[in-house]
Amino acid sequence: MEGGDVKTADLPGLIPYTYGKMQHRHTYQFILFILGLPVYLYVFVIYLFRKKNDAYFSIREEIKQSLLSSEYSERMKLEFKDELVQKRKFFNTDISEKQIDNQVEKWTAEYFDKTLAEKTTKKLKEQGRERVTFAGTFQQLLLKRLFLYLSFIPGLLMYSFILLYSNPYIKYLVERLFMTIFVVVGVVFFVFTILYLSPFDPAANILGETATKDQIAAFNHLHGLDQPYFIQLWEAMKGIATFDLGLSFEGKEDVAASIANRFPVTFKLTVISLIMAVLVAIPIGIISAMKRNSFLDYTFMFIALIGLSIPNFWQGLLFILGFSIKLKWLPATFNPESWLSMIMPVIVLGTALTASVARMTRSSMLEVINEDYIITAKSKGLSQSQVLRKHAIGNAMIPIITVIGLLFGGMLGGAAVTEKVFNISGIGSYIVDKQFIPDIPAIMGGVVYVAITISLVNVIIDIMYAFFDPRIRSKMKQY
Amino acid sequence: MLNIKGKVHENKNEHEHALKLYVEYTQANFTCILSLIVTIVLLLASIDITSLTIKPYLFIAFVAYAIFTGMQIVITQKIKKDLLMLGEIQKHTRKWGYIQLFSILTGNIFIVIFALNLIKMKQTPEYTFAVYMVLTQIAIIAISALNVFKPYVANLFPIAMIVLFIITLFQIAVLFIVARYANGHTVDQRMIFIVIPLFIISVTGNFFALLLGCSLLIKIRNNYRPGTGKWNGIWEKISQNMTAMLGMLFIIVAFSISICSYFTFDYDMAVENNYSAILQSPSPAYPLGTDNFGRDVFSRIVFGARISLVVGIASTAIPAVIGGIFGALAGYYSQRTDNIIMRLLDVLYAIPGLLLAIAIIAAFGANTINLILALSVGSIPTYARTMRANVLMVSNYEFVDSARALGSSDLSIIFKYIVPNSLAPMIVKATLTIGGAVIATSSLSYLGLGVEPHIPEWGNILKLGSEYLESNSYLAIFPGFAIIALVLSFNFLGDALRDALDPKMD
Repeated sequence: MEGGDVKTADLPGLIPYTYGKMQHRHTYQFILFILGLPVYLYVFVIYLFRKKNDAYFSIREEIKQSLLSSEYSERMKLEFKDELVQKRKFFNTDISEKQIDNQVEKWTAEYFDKTLAEKTTKKLKEQGRERVTFAGTFQQLLLKRLFLYLSFIPGLLMYSFILLYSNPYIKYLVERLFMTIFVVVGVVFFVFTILYLSPFDPAANILGETATKDQIAAFNHLHGLDQPYFIQLWEAMKGIATFDLGLSFEGKEDVAASIANRFPVTFKLTVISLIMAVLVAIPIGIISAMKRNSFLDYTFMFIALIGLSIPNFWQGLLFILGFSIKLKWLPATFNPESWLSMIMPVIVLGTALTASVARMTRSSMLEVINEDYIITAKSKGLSQSQVLRKHAIGNAMIPIITVIGLLFGGMLGGAAVTEKVFNISGIGSYIVDKQFIPDIPAIMGGVVYVAITISLVNVIIDIMYAFFDPRIRSKMKQY
Repeated sequence: MLNIKGKVHENKNEHEHALKLYVEYTQANFTCILSLIVTIVLLLASIDITSLTIKPYLFIAFVAYAIFTGMQIVITQKIKKDLLMLGEIQKHTRKWGYIQLFSILTGNIFIVIFALNLIKMKQTPEYTFAVYMVLTQIAIIAISALNVFKPYVANLFPIAMIVLFIITLFQIAVLFIVARYANGHTVDQRMIFIVIPLFIISVTGNFFALLLGCSLLIKIRNNYRPGTGKWNGIWEKISQNMTAMLGMLFIIVAFSISICSYFTFDYDMAVENNYSAILQSPSPAYPLGTDNFGRDVFSRIVFGARISLVVGIASTAIPAVIGGIFGALAGYYSQRTDNIIMRLLDVLYAIPGLLLAIAIIAAFGANTINLILALSVGSIPTYARTMRANVLMVSNYEFVDSARALGSSDLSIIFKYIVPNSLAPMIVKATLTIGGAVIATSSLSYLGLGVEPHIPEWGNILKLGSEYLESNSYLAIFPGFAIIALVLSFNFLGDALRDALDPKMD
């Protein structure tokens, strides 16, 4: 199957090689079939033609006869039976003769087929031939330049797909993006289904208890709530993809527009918190690791643990009490124009992240500085700071970046609480405000767009890794 | 512990390692710092900055704390000197512990614990359990006794207090017996007569009694079965870790008071409106003041512990079991099963936990059961990932191959051989995430999406308090301390468990 060691840079050589590699996965086989249907049809005719003259079946029949005449199965049967009887004796289990005979029959049949196939392939190889398979035929044809040039136009889609696959980076990228799309579709399906199953009736909540049946029916018709499940689901998917989620149930405002208004507020807040957290946490983590088990280390880690344990909203309330009410330094509510009002929300939102990143940096650094190559670097005579800068920090950062990516998601989702405390009109407080009705398009839109943002951030981090981490790069090329 | 026969004239440096070898020295330092912090807080609280007057009661408390803290610092220096000069702690230095025991009258639990550790030459996990068991019981009695100042008490209060008091006396007796007779690898068969009552006592929620009972039982039976050595090793490490034990103390006190409050606290105090006592400042009758409906905040916080613990533990246990099963199946079976399970869980993983919880609660309404389910669903993927990684590692071990060769079925291999051997990281993860669940619970309640508003839950109390931030800020501050203390305790315990269970640390 493998196209040998074709490692040439030229395209015509690359295509059959990659094609052979792609045959290992059923999904790819299927995609190739769909994309290159005209070429497949032509190859199929040739395959049928070649198969007629295939020596495989005649050789197989020959070997089968020889095996049968040499009483191969009888010998196998005796061997298997002996094995099973010994086993019964050893484990002292009560298995009847009949059961043993059945097992022996089964094993013998299996073994016979296996031996037959093996011997046939061996003999074919001895004669310098291969069994005619569809994939083999295809691959042989691809090796011929003429076939390649002639089929280039009808098989354009297929060939471009094969070429995409031939580059490990692009392949990784495409697969990763495909996974993200799958996840996003899954998220829409999941969130929509939860809201669809809701026992609450938004119409009754908005129109009030005095609403007539007709009014409720009209409301449901307006928002498409009278449609069957799958049509509503499809509409939701379409709405998410085209940024058109219709009107919200209450207030009749454009959901996509309100989300677009509020999302940047949350995003800006989160990103600033993230930057602040990273700038504070990583030096603390490194210092703690360097001065392990010192008073400084214990103090930092104790504060970090408190930072992890403090609820956002309580910290926010304490800040308001201290800095706004008592000291009157900072405004208690958020105002997009004044940067002073950003300080408290940013710190509150970033506390938990700072704490986890500091703890993570410390443990990651401790792991790295005990590695052999750090000892080598030290014994070369490098100073402590050189070892740190050039050898330790870079490697210690790798797991931390993943953690930051994951925590960023939690932060974007957890911003709802902070937004409520400081009265920020971000996406989180929007979702919370809309949940009482429940306003299905607004909640779904909010949750799904946040999830999409998080997925994209994680994709970017993963792809960056693929380019920067040599370990991942070599792994990528292997599979 | 090592007993190094030291000579006075030996070089100091020879005994440097003794400072690290003796847990007492670390504990002494740690106690000093904690006690000092409390003392300083008391000093600051006792001085009224605006009028520069001194609040007498708080100042007396400060003086008492300062005396014991000063003694603690002296003892720490003595221990350091002993260890550096002799390599061991002298007997008469240990005697100082008896004096420090009196700090229990001031409620300085850190010094009491340290003193009890110092008195005993050879610390066993059993001794530590017994100490903490007694302390838990005293804390329960002290918290319950605050009800005496109330206008009326629960019907069962006097009987319950007498029972608690008798239990405490029994526990103190057990403490002496354990300190005297349970030092070796085995103990006397007759210990069974205290093990059985200990198990019965643990019904009050005092799990230290249960732990002590289990440990003694293992020593009584004294059969070195595989696993019991591990049990001892793990608890030996944890019981020497003071932060972890303090965390456990708080968790168990919270748990125990949740149970005992059925008898010693009056639920009406926490939920019934009392318009004659609205927004009162802290006083003996209302230790943490009253809220805008005249409800006792202290009782509300005590009853709130119940909800926080139940929701926290349930919303950790449910996803741990479900995620654990998914992860085990994904890790054990072929790549295709693995791919299907993990890709589906990726969908869940993409939605931030809090938003998912909000969406679920928006759909099905805000109540405790829905809250538990909503928090559970979001954390299934993380547990599945942890379990899968462990199972992938464990299924390569020889004992799995041997089980397969002996003809065990796939399911029995997974759940009898692989899962028990990959539980350790799951336990650590679960302990560390209970804290997160407690925070999430109170956050959602604060947003009005959690527990129903009339139920005393820490988030609900805080939500009410936040409206009186300017005038009655204590309403928002005290429940916050309760949340932090509980979460911090779980985090301390989780960190210690991780250190104790991690084979790398050996």
